[in-house]
Formats: sequence, C-alpha cells, structure tokens
Amino acid sequence: MVGDPISDATGSLTVAITDDHPVVIEGIQTWLSEEPRISVVYTGETLEVPPGVADVLILDLNLHGRLVIDAVATLAAAGQRVIAFSQFTEQRVVLEVLEAGACEFVAKNEGRAHLVNTVLAAAGDRPYVTPTAAGVLVGDRGANRPKLSSQERTALLWWFQSMSKASVARRMGVSVHTVDVYIRRARVKYAQVGRNAPTKADMLARAIEDGLVKPDDITGYESAAAGEG
Amino acid sequence: MTVGVVRGMVATRFARAVNIGVVTIVGVWHLGLDTLLVLRGWPVYEPQAAAAGAWLALAVIQATGSVLLLRSALSAHSARMLAGAALVTGVVATAAYPPGGAIGDVSWAWNTVGWFGVLLLIQRPLWELIVLLGANTAVTVGFLAADGALDHVTVSRLLAGIYTTAGIQFTFAYLARQLNDGAREATEIAAGQAEYLARATADETVHAERQRRYEYLRGRVEPLLRGLADRQLDPGDAVVRRRAAVEAARLRRLFAETDDIPHPLLHELRSCADIAERRGVRVTLLSYGDLPELPTSVRRELAEGALLVLAAAATEARVTLLATPEEVAVSVVADAPPETVVEPPGPLAVSFLCDQEGDQLWWETRYPMRPAR
Repeated sequence: MVGDPISDATGSLTVAITDDHPVVIEGIQTWLSEEPRISVVYTGETLEVPPGVADVLILDLNLHGRLVIDAVATLAAAGQRVIAFSQFTEQRVVLEVLEAGACEFVAKNEGRAHLVNTVLAAAGDRPYVTPTAAGVLVGDRGANRPKLSSQERTALLWWFQSMSKASVARRMGVSVHTVDVYIRRARVKYAQVGRNAPTKADMLARAIEDGLVKPDDITGYESAAAGEG
Repeated sequence: MTVGVVRGMVATRFARAVNIGVVTIVGVWHLGLDTLLVLRGWPVYEPQAAAAGAWLALAVIQATGSVLLLRSALSAHSARMLAGAALVTGVVATAAYPPGGAIGDVSWAWNTVGWFGVLLLIQRPLWELIVLLGANTAVTVGFLAADGALDHVTVSRLLAGIYTTAGIQFTFAYLARQLNDGAREATEIAAGQAEYLARATADETVHAERQRRYEYLRGRVEPLLRGLADRQLDPGDAVVRRRAAVEAARLRRLFAETDDIPHPLLHELRSCADIAERRGVRVTLLSYGDLPELPTSVRRELAEGALLVLAAAATEARVTLLATPEEVAVSVVADAPPETVVEPPGPLAVSFLCDQEGDQLWWETRYPMRPAR
C-alpha cells in the first residue's frame, strides 16, 4: 500500500510514520497531535517512503515480519532522520540501529512523553536517550564502543533503572540539567561509532555548536584491549 | 554411561592381550616348529603333496583365524567351520605319515590342530574346545589302531602325548578364561563402587538442599501459617498480607534457585516478578549485558531487595538487571511503602541504595565483579 500524504498539517516540524499496523499509526498520530509544534504529514505501511517527505521519520523496525535495520542505514545515508520505534528491545537490535545512523531508539512500551521528546530533539539534530537505550549503551561491551566517563556511565545506568532524571539528579548530587548533559554527551559519543552517516555528522556538529562536547572529546576510541585492563 | 564405557574398555583390553598371546603361540608353533618338522621328515611322507598341502592349508586357516580374532570379527559359525577344517586337514596330514608314525619324530599335526582349536574357539563355550581336542586325539588313536601299532610302548607314549598336547591346551584355554572372567569381575566391582559413590554424593547433595529448604520453611513460613491457623494473625491485616507475599516470593525464588538454566539470576528475578504479577502488579523486567556466573549466595542477596520491593509494590514495578565486567546491578523501582526497606541481607557481598520520590521506592543492589583495591 502506498503512503498517504496529509494536507491539513499545521505545525512547523514535520513527521512521517511507517508502521504495518494502522492502529499504531493512529495511536502515534494521537500522541503527537497534543504537541502543537509537530504535524504528521505522511503515513505508510511500507518502506517506500518518498525522500525528504518529512523532517523526521518514525519507523517500525518490524515491517510485515521482517527486521528492517538495513533500511535504517539506507534512509540515514540519504540524510533522513529516523526514529526506530519497536517492541524488539534486544541489546543487539538497539546497538545496530544506532550504528546504522538512526537518531534514536524508542521502545513501544516507553510511552508518549519519550516519543514526543525524541521527535523534538531529533528534528534539531539533538540527542535524546530513552531509558531503554540508556540500559543498552551502559551495558555495551562491543570492541569499538566509545569511552564514557564514570559520570556518564552512572547517569545512563540510573536513568535506565529509575526513568526519573529528578531522582538521578538527587542521587548524583547534581542538577537535572547536568544529568541531562551527561546522558546526551554519552549518546553523542556513539554518533562517531561505525559507518558514517549524514545524520550522525549533523548530530556531532550540533553538539559541538551547543557546547555539549568539544571536538577533542569525541576523537578518542576505547580499544578492545584497553577495555580488558 | 561413563562407568559402562570404562568397564567395556578394561575387559576388552584384557581379552585382547590374551588373544595376541594365543595368536603368537600358534604362529610360532606352525610357522616355526611345524615347518622344521615337515622339512626334516620330508622324505618319509607319502604322498608328499598331502603333507605340503596340509601344512599350507593350516597356514591359511591360521592366518584367517588370527586376523578375524584380532579384529573381533570371529563369529561362532566361522570359528566352528575353521576348527572343523583344521581337524580335517589334520586327518590328511596324519594319513601321509609312514605307518605307525602318528606319534613320533615325523608327526606334527596332532599338536598343531589342538592349538588351532585353542585359538579359534577361545570365545566359544569350553565344551566346544573339549569336543575338538577329543576328536583330534581320536584321529591319532584311530590311525595308530588302523596301523596295528597300539602296543604296550605306544599306548604309554600316547598317554604322555595326550598330557603334553590336549592337557596343556585345555589348561591354557581354561586359565585364559578364568583370567578374563576375573578381570571382568574386578572392573565390574570397581565400576559398581564408583557408581555407588556418585549416587551417594548426589543423594547427599539433594538431602542437604532439602534440609536447607526445610530449615527455611520451619523458620519463616511455619510461624506464619501457624499464626493464620491459630487466628493469631489476621489475613485482613496489610502487614500480614505483605509478610505472606514476601514469603511466597521467597519460596518461589528458592525453588527456582536449583533450576538448571543459562541465566539463573534472571530466572530467579522473573519468578519474583511472576508472583507480583499474580497480585495484579504491572512489572517491567529488563536485562542488558552478559550475565557472569554468580555463586548461589550472591544471587540470593542480589535478588532479595527486588523480592521485598516487588512483594510490597501496589500497582507498578520496574526491575532492571545490568551486567558489566566490573559489576552486576539489580534495581527495582515500585510504588511501595518506605517501611519495605530493611537491613541488607547477609554479609556485605552486595551494596544497596534506596531513594524515594513521591510514593516511588528505588532499591539498587550491586555486586562488584572486580573489587577495587
């Protein structure tokens, strides 16, 4: 089935949705309709998404029984910002999707606020880490994982555990803003891992512009040997 | 299974040693001694072709029998056929002796056919060998009688011959059999003892495990059940209900503890979550990283906090498990009352942290895999 362009869009930030279950599409539309800055301009059930149809594409990772991680890479290589939205929360799946150049991974059980926040952040090439993705990143033992500071690791772990940045901040003895900086900085470090993608380069450039990271911060890779030490 | 294999191996190796021994004896006997005797007495055999043919036929029978025996491929049928052929060949060889020569310097087949019987019938019941030795002796006696040579002296020599041929051959076969049986019996006894020891150890382990659970039941669950039965505890009381929920989860975890599965800690946490879900609590359980193997006591302490908070959760709980090479962290966040938090269980192999925000209780237990020094 070919997707449907939607004409009565009002918000400045455009979103496309691809999911093989119409009920999920309608659910996402309802969630996003409460946020005036966002307008859904396209919905579809297949990977045949017109290039540049929207600022952000929310993509179900399992379309008609097939995992479409390779499609994420193709879309990201063409400069399309993709948010992977899936019930498959295995560590491997999440890491591969981020490595392929997806802006973010959102688990289907994580709720409206996380999806809306992710869309708003992704549209501005800024990182947003859901608690599920935080657990995946802090538990990553891959050979070419980036080197995270101990605060970044702690912030990711506690965000994964508690789903409350206020709790994490109280426990770390820092402000909620600082917790957010640790989490986003950790995510930005992942934008330099693996193959290049315009989406990753945009995120890195924006992070440097925002002063989230310095160019020096993101050049050091933690080698597999160093990880054993 | 291992015990059976060991037993088979020992018995097989022992029988093989005996087989190699008898093959060697028969080989030296026929190819060495018989060859010398036939060559020395060559002029007197009549017809000479019968002597040569018999020697050759016995060599073929010997080679075939030896190969089959050493390859453990000597069937009952071929053993009997070959033994019969050897006996017939013996008759042919004896027929070529000069009259009255069935015992003497030029006779060779009697002894040889007897040893062939030992070789070919070593795996057969003893009576088959006795039959062959008897028939073999009868051939010699028959020829002597036909030649009219059974005088006083020859009968004495015949009796001595029976002792030195059939007697020795029978004794050899009998002893080999006894040794084989002895070895099999010894290995069977050893294997039986090993089996008994293994079973006793397993029984002891199971018993100790049951004892441990029973001690636990007696200390924690029995007073609760007794209190409910005696109406000293009110099932409507929230404290009693929570105590019951905790003990139910503990029991469930205790039973899950001995399950043989790849990730026991995750399995135990799941069984705690399962109990809470039955009470209508919505539980999310997430696990990332590769879980290392953990001792039972560490798993028990890591799961205890999650168990208590889950048992006290009102409507919702989030359980997370994160494993890195440095540490294992178990955490639970739930809408549970603050008094759920008690002293950390057991020795401080784990550390725990609690934090409350609104009605959310956050409990975290960590186990350092590589303690900083």
